[in-house]
This record gives sequence, structure tokens and C-alpha cells, in this order.
Amino acid sequence: MLSFQKFQHEMARHLRDPHHTPRPFGVPAGRMAVYNELLFTNICGFIDSCFPVCRQLLGEGPWRRLCRTFYRDWRSHTPWFREIPGEFVRYLSEHAITQPLPRWLADLARYEWAELVVDVADVALPEHDPLGDLMLAPVLLNPARVDVVSEWPVHRMECKWQKRKAETTFLIVFRDARCDVKFTEINAITAHVIRLLESGLTGQQTFAELAKEMGHPDPDALQGFGQALLISLREQGVLLGTRT
Amino acid sequence: MARETHTIESENRWSGLGFRRELIPALQQRVPAAIGFFEVAPENWAGMGGRAGRDLRAFTERYPFVCHGLSLSLGGPGPLDDLLLRRTRDFMREHGMSLFTEHLSWCADDGHLYDLLPIPMTEEAVRYTAERIARAQDILGMRIGVENASTYIAPPGAEMTEAEFVRAVVEQADCLLHLDVNNIYVNSQNFGFDPHAYLQQLPLERTCYVHVAGHYVEDDGLLIDTHGSDVIDPVWELLEAAYLSIGHPVLTCLERDFNIPDMQTLTQEITHIVRLQERAFGRLSQVPALRPNSR
Repeated sequence: MLSFQKFQHEMARHLRDPHHTPRPFGVPAGRMAVYNELLFTNICGFIDSCFPVCRQLLGEGPWRRLCRTFYRDWRSHTPWFREIPGEFVRYLSEHAITQPLPRWLADLARYEWAELVVDVADVALPEHDPLGDLMLAPVLLNPARVDVVSEWPVHRMECKWQKRKAETTFLIVFRDARCDVKFTEINAITAHVIRLLESGLTGQQTFAELAKEMGHPDPDALQGFGQALLISLREQGVLLGTRT
Repeated sequence: MARETHTIESENRWSGLGFRRELIPALQQRVPAAIGFFEVAPENWAGMGGRAGRDLRAFTERYPFVCHGLSLSLGGPGPLDDLLLRRTRDFMREHGMSLFTEHLSWCADDGHLYDLLPIPMTEEAVRYTAERIARAQDILGMRIGVENASTYIAPPGAEMTEAEFVRAVVEQADCLLHLDVNNIYVNSQNFGFDPHAYLQQLPLERTCYVHVAGHYVEDDGLLIDTHGSDVIDPVWELLEAAYLSIGHPVLTCLERDFNIPDMQTLTQEITHIVRLQERAFGRLSQVPALRPNSR
């Protein structure tokens, strides 16, 4: 380590944990406090703007404490500011956090983060036919899309969310043709259909596979149901058409 | 030479504004004639898709843009981020940008702290930082501008003044100077020195780019570089003094990141930049914009 870097390491350590580490030698307390506040306010700004519902449901005190331990304990290597919320989501699910937190928090954070991810996702659209026959050709799913599976109804959580009961939830968060972020709630079977379509199957192949897995008594009826489902998903913007 | 081929309604190509998502609706209505270019941070805009990416593209097709970095940590103890540099280079190519500047500061050790911190002003730090700037220039394939930063503490053990530090780094790295007149003023008040004397000690002959901004005054008199208020007269005076010393037109950007007023109010400040430039250099509309980074 070069000698001037000792100061930098001391300063970084103190900025991450001002209450439990000494401030760097030779730095007045008042001026150091300015940096402590500026940097923590800055990081809170990035996190607060992405997770308004988490913040509201957790309450200001616990939320701020969580932001502090994130800044203190988690090393973010990304230089891209819009990826800071993603680091926070990883912190919630991967770090051994001592603060008692509601069981739904990590899932809710992942859902709120999905809206940001979808909003700014830089995706290339493969060649496709928007009017292609979804049953006969491999289907192109919207690439600006995040599939959310949660044990909690994360899309219905808001400050008045009283029920607080687990309820397995499948959501698709996606960006439509007008660049607006939308979500649609689906069921477990549709979620499975999406996975099969993503593996490159046509609509017909997908619902034949599904009929086999379910031991369905009338596979042809399932094909009819499936076609209506795919058309509906295309109207919403979850499917973009068929691959060409 | 993308910059010269733009057809824009600007009366002046030398005054600009920081490009922000919240300004886009107003700018889509009309771009004030005082705005000749925009500035973007690659950390906010590179690799951005969706509506924001589409909007950026619509503006970079019509206006010159300057790339102003925030996360490179030129003087930091962590490794220089080659990937960030390469992606910044690609981002600049995608949008026809030819000028990149960064702060003479640091922001990361083994992880990012996400704000700009002061480098101890020692000979060793000069060599270390200059070497990293030279590597950044190699990866970007161009000379870059390095900005004098605002600070609230003076790291102990300084072996030189701040102006000497800036000069030493810029000369050793053989890079350009990005002059921030508000930062000079903020530091002069916080550390008690004469901002005009400091200005004259900088390597102004290497100036490629200028920032002007407002700041916040805390109850105890400490100035905080917030970019959240109007530019004050002593900072305008520094800008005018800088123009007279530099002696040629130089791209100047108004930074406004908080308490953003309406476009009309912002335009008044940008128009004041134009006024000071014309007072120093005469009518600028006929002068082609320089490409200050060509090596």
C-alpha cells in the first residue's frame, strides 16, 4: 500500500461505519460529519427511489438502519448507478443480515427492482413476425421482461396491506411497445407455459407437452385453450410474435 | 468530425447544460437557442435502453454531447476499472462524443462509495494518479480532461497546495484541464484562500472544458457543492476571469442537479454564459467548435 492510501482506507472505513470506527487522523469531526451525511444521503437516494413500497411497509427507522448496514457491509463493485438497487436486492437475499426483517421483504424488493430493470433494459429485438401463427412457429417472448415468482402477493402490497398472508404469486413485469412498464398476474400453469415457450417450442408443442405432463384427458381442448392464452399474451405485449 | 455537421438552431456552440431525465419533457418541447451542447454521465446513460435510451438517442442525433464521468476513481486505491473505460469508449462512439472528462478525486476502495472524495496531495499521489490517467487515456484513445474537485476536508500530510497538485497531475499525465469555477470558489471559502490567485496557478493553457454551478451554504458558513442553487456573482466573476486568461473559446456547461427550476430560469443562466463568452471572445456563432481532445 502506498502511504497516502492509508488515509483513503481509513476514510472509506469510517464513511461506511461512522459510529463504530475512528475518523481518519487529522480530520476535524465537523467536516468529517459533512462527508458522512453527504455519502449516506446519496446512497439512500438511489435506494429510496427504487423501493418506495418496501420503505413504507418497513417504516422509516428500520428502513434507514437497513440502508446503513447495506452501505457498511456490502461491497458494491458496479460503477453504474442504476445497478445499485440490484446490489441492494442481492444484499437482502445473500447477506446474513442480523436486523429482524419481515419474511416478504426480499421478495417485495425484487419485484420493485424488476420495474426498474424492465424500464431501462437495453435489449435487441430479434427478427420476428408480429402476426405469425403462435401455434405453428417458435414464439418470441418480450425480452424486456422479468418473470417474478413469490410466496407473497407482492403486486398488491401497499401501505394499507393488512392481510399479510402468504399467497404464491406469478407475475410478468414487462415493457410495452410504448416503453411503459406493465405487469400482468398469471397462474402457475401460464408460468410453466412461458418457460416452455422460452425453450424454443411452438404453441402446439408447448400445449402437447403440457397435456402429457398433466395427463390431460382431452389434449385437443387444451390446444384451443392454449391458443386463446397465447393471443391474449400477445395482445398484452408479453409475446411479440413468432421468430423468423 | 460529427460536431461540425450538426444542424442546430443554436446561436452558440460553446454553452451547454447537463442532460437529465427530468429535463427531457421540456427539452422535447423546445431546446433554447442558448444551448449548444449537452453533457451526460456515462454512469447514468451508457447501456440505457427503453424510453430513456430512445430519448437520449433523439438528442445525440441533433446535438453534440460531452461525456463527464463520475465513477472512475482516478486517485482511488482500488484497481482502475478497465471495463468501465471500454464501455465508456463504446458509449461515446455510439453517440458521436469526442470529449471525456473526470474528477481529480476518488470514490472506491474494494467497493464503490458513490461520491467524490479528496486525494491526499503528495508527490506519490501525483505519480499514482497521473499514471492511472495516462492508462485511461490509452484505453479511451484520447486525451481526457481532469476536473478540479470540491472538497470539505484537507487530507493530512499535504506536500503541496491544491493548485500545485492539479498542475502536477495534469502535466505528468499529459492530460487536459476541466476547470470548475464553482469548485474553486467553494474550496476557497472552505479553506480560506483567494480564488483568483488559485485560478491563475492552474494550467489554464490546457483547459478543454468548464463547469459553472451553484452551491449551498450551511448554517455554519460551510459551502457545499450541491449544484442545487443559482450561480452566484463571485462565481460568474471567476468564469469571466478564466475566459480572459484562457484566451480562446471553451465549452462551458451549467450543472444543475437539484431544485431544478423551469427551463426559462435555467436558460437565463446559460444565456449569461453566452454573454460572458461574447464579452471575452466576441461573437461565437461563426467559430467552429474545437476538438480539444485530438492527440
